[in-house]
Amino acid sequence: MDKPKNTLTSGLLADNTVLSACMVISPVIMCGDTLQNAFALIYAFSAITFLSVMLSSFVPRSLPYTVRIIIYAVIASAVYIPVKLLAQEFYPESIERIGIYYPLIAVNSLIVHQTEVRFFRMKRLNMAGSLIFYILGFDAVMLITGFVRELLAYGTINGSMADMDFLISGLSKPFGGFIFLGLFCGIYRKIRSAAVRQKNEAGSEANVPD
Amino acid sequence: MFLINDIIALLVSNLILTQALGTSTLFIAAGSRKKLIGTAAVITVFTTSGSAAAYFINSLLGSRYSDLTLLFYTIAIGILYVGLLTLLYYISRNAFEKYRKYIHVSAYNCAVMGTLFTIEQNASLSAEAFTLKSYLLSGFEAGIGFVIAALILAAAFGKLNSSKVPSSFRGFPAMLVYLGIISMAVYSLR
Amino acid sequence: MLKKQKKERLIWIDVTITLLALEIMAYFYYGIRALAVGVLCIAVSLAAELISLRLRSRKFTADDLSCTSDALITALMMPASIELGIPAAACVFAVTAAKNVFGGRRNMIFSPAAAAYLFILTSWEKELLLYPKVYDKIGILDTASELVSSASYTFNTTGTMEAADFELLLGSFPGPMGAVSILLLLVAAVVLIFRKDISAGAFAGTMFGTIFMAYLCPAAENPLDSVKYVLAANMTLFAAIYIISDRRIAPGKNYYAFFYGLFIAITSYIVTLTTGKENVIVIMSVLFTPLSLMLKSLENKIERTRFAETTSVSDSVKQEGAENCG
Repeated sequence: MDKPKNTLTSGLLADNTVLSACMVISPVIMCGDTLQNAFALIYAFSAITFLSVMLSSFVPRSLPYTVRIIIYAVIASAVYIPVKLLAQEFYPESIERIGIYYPLIAVNSLIVHQTEVRFFRMKRLNMAGSLIFYILGFDAVMLITGFVRELLAYGTINGSMADMDFLISGLSKPFGGFIFLGLFCGIYRKIRSAAVRQKNEAGSEANVPD
Repeated sequence: MFLINDIIALLVSNLILTQALGTSTLFIAAGSRKKLIGTAAVITVFTTSGSAAAYFINSLLGSRYSDLTLLFYTIAIGILYVGLLTLLYYISRNAFEKYRKYIHVSAYNCAVMGTLFTIEQNASLSAEAFTLKSYLLSGFEAGIGFVIAALILAAAFGKLNSSKVPSSFRGFPAMLVYLGIISMAVYSLR
Repeated sequence: MLKKQKKERLIWIDVTITLLALEIMAYFYYGIRALAVGVLCIAVSLAAELISLRLRSRKFTADDLSCTSDALITALMMPASIELGIPAAACVFAVTAAKNVFGGRRNMIFSPAAAAYLFILTSWEKELLLYPKVYDKIGILDTASELVSSASYTFNTTGTMEAADFELLLGSFPGPMGAVSILLLLVAAVVLIFRKDISAGAFAGTMFGTIFMAYLCPAAENPLDSVKYVLAANMTLFAAIYIISDRRIAPGKNYYAFFYGLFIAITSYIVTLTTGKENVIVIMSVLFTPLSLMLKSLENKIERTRFAETTSVSDSVKQEGAENCG
């Protein structure tokens, strides 16, 4: 009973898009320095990825691999247009803030390469559920990164001043993003392995006969 | 003296170290030194030829239809993707089997697309940069930048994946921190 | 193994003694604040090292004390007036991100002190590159009465230094608190080279490259002044001894280490000359880390090939001997 549940939700933690699969790193490093940027990226990533993967699932698998990849990328680029137009309507400043990373989200590895490996082997409903968890996994990383980097680099939370005396401005720079993400990923792995070990120990203790 | 200055300038404008473009690809390709160099070489081909295509697309679309730029770039890269695979297939079957994976990994990623958008952005800021020669040069420079970043990562690859590195940091996290510190040094030269 | 461990500890003692001499000099110039920065760096580094080792489930041994010499190197590259939180943060960064993430002292990639310096340079450039005047004694919690640009900055932008030769030798000019006492640094270099605590090849390469470039393309009015000033400014000598020639980072063989030092020196000189940036040598030492790693792997490959050749030759000699006996 546990197995399908794990597969469906694995994108959130166990197989996190950024921390485990090391995909879609550039936007996190470059734009994940404030919560406002994080929200804008979360909107763009969630909308483009969900719609593109769902639409791409209708592409016949009988086509050659290269052609399929090109079609996925074209679908994502087409989805990007209304998503961007909507953002222009409601959050015009977000597009300027994110700059070239907005269109780059459309060619992220989750859509272009990983669809075949991860999603298209599932039934469509399961796929939609799993995809939502993968997207939520990215969103969570983006939020945490945006929050911590903004607080430590600018001393603000979502643009409002926080009472911080000591700021590390380098954290807002690309190298700060690299180092923060590296440390974040290592800490995440450490916590996960400790949790798995604890779970295994608890399991083995439960199996010991009285 | 000029050569050293040029190399430093190339480092300072490196798309991976300064804009994190193509980092995921670099890590995917980081399985071995051979893979890294192979991917870097194919990416250079894509960024150079892709930038030529980008020049024509930007000339045709202008700023009025800029929302369509991504779609046209994607189609152009798709054509190059098929073209490169076909070319390799007819040159040598053996080479096709050996190197096609690098083409698959390199075609659609942030390194190539990011380069095209960065070049477009620079061209929109200065009219002098809006020439085919400038586009081609910038595309080639970006490719060379990827090669340099690949070499920088390849040099430490063994150490970053060594059993001496704590298991939670081994591989990808250590690579990120390593690139971050190198990127920090590049940033201090600006 | 035991001999190697002992050697690591001895290196640490020698390096620390020379650094303490520089720290005393800094105390003489800037008062108790210079000592406070040093002590703070050591304490924070030790604490960070202890915590890191604990998280990695490793025991703290005497060899791990090398983090304290790295802390002193970091402290000596700073102005005595620096806000105390900054060196503390830099030391935490050096010990955790630049050292223990990669496996600690057994798998060193970057010089922790150089990484710490860059960390401060990129986040607190103003605080790092403005210095108190010499003999402006600062209390532990006080601020400097006046901050000035360093003599290196003046030299890089004008090609002259206002300090007399005697002042240059003693380090009596504005700059990092422990990285400008040229006479002491020369003595430290000689001691550490003779005790084989630093890489002689890397040091020679750096010195040769710097002197060669300073003479060939003088930054001052005449070549000799250029050599003199270039050695005294931009922490050249300090970085050559404690960062570039660090045995944990530089290639093992002197021949390779020489070229490693030479490339760093030449590139640093050119970048300083063309951009006027201060202390470029520290930045370059980090940027050239991949070169050092490549040279080290080349060394290993050559050694393996040589070992394989020797083994095959001795095997064939044995085989021939056996045949002759037969």
